[in-house]
Amino acid sequence: MNMHCFQSIRRTGAVLALAAFAPFVAADGKLVIKAGKVITLAGEPIENGTIVVENGRITAIGTDVQAPWDAEVLEYPGLVAFPGFVEAITNYGMDRSNENVDVAPFLDVRDSIDPVNFYFENSLRAGVTTLNVQHAANCVIGANGHIVKPIGMTVEEMSVKPGAGLVLSAAPKGGKSAATQAQALRGAFGELRDYLEDVVQEKKDGKDYARREALYQGREPDEETSKGRAMEGSAWKVEGLELVPRWEIDEKQAPLLKLVEGKTPAFFYCGSPKDVSVAIEVAEKNGFLARTTLVLDPSCWKAADVIAERGLPVILDSTLVHIETDPVTGEEIETFVPGVFAEKGVRFALRSETALNQSLWFQAARCVGYGLTREQALAAVTTTPAELLGLGTRVGSLAAGKDANVVLFSGDPLSVTSKVEYVVIEGNLVYDRSTDVRMRHVETGEQPENTAPADEAEFDPHPEDKGTGEENGDEEEAEEEESN
Amino acid sequence: MLQIAGALCAIALGTPEPAAAESTVIFADAIYTSNGDVIENGAVTIVDGKISAITPGKTPGDDDVHVGAITAGMIDLSARVVRGLDTVEQTNEVTPQMRVEHAIDWFDAEWGRQRKSGVTTVLLSPQDQNVIGGLSVAVKTAGSPELEERAVKRDACLRGAMGQQPSSGNHSAWGRPTDFFSRRPTTRMGVEWEWRKAFFDAAQARAAGTEATPDAQGLLDVLDGKRPLFIQAWATQDIRTAVFFKEEMASEGFGEVTLILDAAAEAWREPELLVRSKAAVVLPPLPDYGRAEDGAFMALSTAKKLVDAGVPVALSSHGAKADRDRLAMQGALARRGGLSLEEALEAVTITPAKMIGIDDRVGSVEVGKDADLALWNGEPFQATSRVVGTVIDGVLLVDPQQN
Repeated sequence: MNMHCFQSIRRTGAVLALAAFAPFVAADGKLVIKAGKVITLAGEPIENGTIVVENGRITAIGTDVQAPWDAEVLEYPGLVAFPGFVEAITNYGMDRSNENVDVAPFLDVRDSIDPVNFYFENSLRAGVTTLNVQHAANCVIGANGHIVKPIGMTVEEMSVKPGAGLVLSAAPKGGKSAATQAQALRGAFGELRDYLEDVVQEKKDGKDYARREALYQGREPDEETSKGRAMEGSAWKVEGLELVPRWEIDEKQAPLLKLVEGKTPAFFYCGSPKDVSVAIEVAEKNGFLARTTLVLDPSCWKAADVIAERGLPVILDSTLVHIETDPVTGEEIETFVPGVFAEKGVRFALRSETALNQSLWFQAARCVGYGLTREQALAAVTTTPAELLGLGTRVGSLAAGKDANVVLFSGDPLSVTSKVEYVVIEGNLVYDRSTDVRMRHVETGEQPENTAPADEAEFDPHPEDKGTGEENGDEEEAEEEESN
Repeated sequence: MLQIAGALCAIALGTPEPAAAESTVIFADAIYTSNGDVIENGAVTIVDGKISAITPGKTPGDDDVHVGAITAGMIDLSARVVRGLDTVEQTNEVTPQMRVEHAIDWFDAEWGRQRKSGVTTVLLSPQDQNVIGGLSVAVKTAGSPELEERAVKRDACLRGAMGQQPSSGNHSAWGRPTDFFSRRPTTRMGVEWEWRKAFFDAAQARAAGTEATPDAQGLLDVLDGKRPLFIQAWATQDIRTAVFFKEEMASEGFGEVTLILDAAAEAWREPELLVRSKAAVVLPPLPDYGRAEDGAFMALSTAKKLVDAGVPVALSSHGAKADRDRLAMQGALARRGGLSLEEALEAVTITPAKMIGIDDRVGSVEVGKDADLALWNGEPFQATSRVVGTVIDGVLLVDPQQN
């Protein structure tokens, strides 16, 4: 391979790599996976199990199931089949993970997701088959999220569930104080109420500004939406809102209205234990507490009692052990965070550190090392995040009726020596380690002739938010200066 | 704690000579000795800070300390307890008489973290802004805050660095105000030149019959094989420079240098070169995506390739503090790269001990050796287990029952 050729490969590397795992599409969508062991997480593990897939869904699973005569058969007698991991929330894989605008529920990460980002490719290598892509915590109210699978060249192909929920942050956005942040959160809902009251008043006054604005914005009063009225069945009342057809609501306000109506899930970031009470207050006052999942900093284990009392589910930080230095004695106190929540009976999901290292299998394994049972640890990276994302009936375990998202491990999924050999998503074989040149490079250093590994500067698996990136750079420089 | 308990017991029984009764017994499902043996359901008996017996087939009582596995305490040859400018004497680029042992803070919180991670002996070295930084010292991570008692081996090796780091930050004095970094070398070739010049000057002065300066004596000691030369070299080009330097010293007739390469992330590229030069290798923590410092690429299978080639390999934290970068997890990642459990264990215990010649005291679970043990709650070097206890010189410093 000549140099010129390689250059072009580097430029279009992600495209080619994805092409290398070109989906193997079974004839008529029928596929049979036979594995030495099938860990279903929906019952006991099955020795020498068979998974029958039709049109992307599992139709039968067990030792003694009838396979369609015309199905493709994948036989892996030495491998362990496991449900695809579910990443409960991630801020990677998109253009930038934070907005300058404080309150931006009218944005959608669908416009930011970059299908050829390394992050998705690496997630696939690690056996993650479902990802909830959401804005990061540097916001007051962020964009609408999107649940995707890590395969496909467009967001439409990747899509598992659009409109996956709004992110809110009780942790102060850069430059704000905790008090300003809390008021900004309350203020956003205050503004929504003011807007709705104005719309109602206009209706009562016989004006049709809202209608004209809606038409101007290009919305049509189509059959279904024109019938639906805003605030039906909501705990959050605005007197007279039933007069307003849903399609007339300004599209900048509509997502937040859906939130207070309890129609959208909320992911509420908490950067410290005190943020937890702000998040609960805001969610409760505005009627969406029942649909709220808290996304917690490790320090928030201190608020575990408050969270348990409200029965809220949580997504835990990738740092599993919270280390705090006593400000007086200097003693370092370590707390294994998932252990605290497990003990209080709070439902929790774990997050990856990065896609390739400390991915979900590793996080679950570490939890076992710190004393969780295997069942607890595995649930936190499969069934629990699936339920939190409203996909409990589709992903997270292997059972008839569920999406055929199957990871084939060379051994116990939690063992450090096991590797992800194959990944099947919705019935398509989309990853094969034996053809993964990048993985081979990471594992053995093997690389094309006359090339050197790409520079750190050129390779950025997780392009961070550009706004905060500069600050980080400065810090690193300062540190370097110091060590010199 | 257990020792105190033992002593109280001895008094209560009215034993006249408590020394014999002061024994501690720790039980484990498996004892990995670092000598190739695995003893199932065994117990290690400790008397006077030394291992006095290793007994198979023992059943623990309810009050006994019982863990999943016992290994020898781990040895980190590239630890950083003293760090940064405290270990770099900036008056010169070649400071072979500087001793890092004089810069140790025995009360640093890092000692506790080292112990907690199962590391019982560390080799502390001057850091790498100098070409030849000075003399390293091997010490226990717990014990008396006195150098004489803590040290396992003083002046264990002479430390220096190839590559960019010794020149990083330096600049020429021209065209700008003179400051701290107005000094040489400013390039990789300058670093290499400093190495050569220092050793040539020392060797030629000796050949001319001149009495050696203290600095020159430090270099002559290395040429005479009194202690190994411990050189940081991340990338292949720097590893080659270090190996060729050693070979040049031999071909010039100056002496046979024992070479240990530190942070040799790219050593997997040319293991035969290391076999030829009988160099030992200390690896840095495996970086995300393999990208290490100085442009080096460290493959997941680095340790495996070196072990297969017969190169002595030790894993290290290279001063990194994250749980993942410490030895227990580095051993696990080396297994992911292909090492067996036994090989991973050796790479953090007996192999590093042999490299700096302290294997008579530490590095394996053997009768007569120091009772330095790492206690695990399951299979060592596995993602689902971790170090839950540490014993140093027979004292249970991290208690598995409270951890």
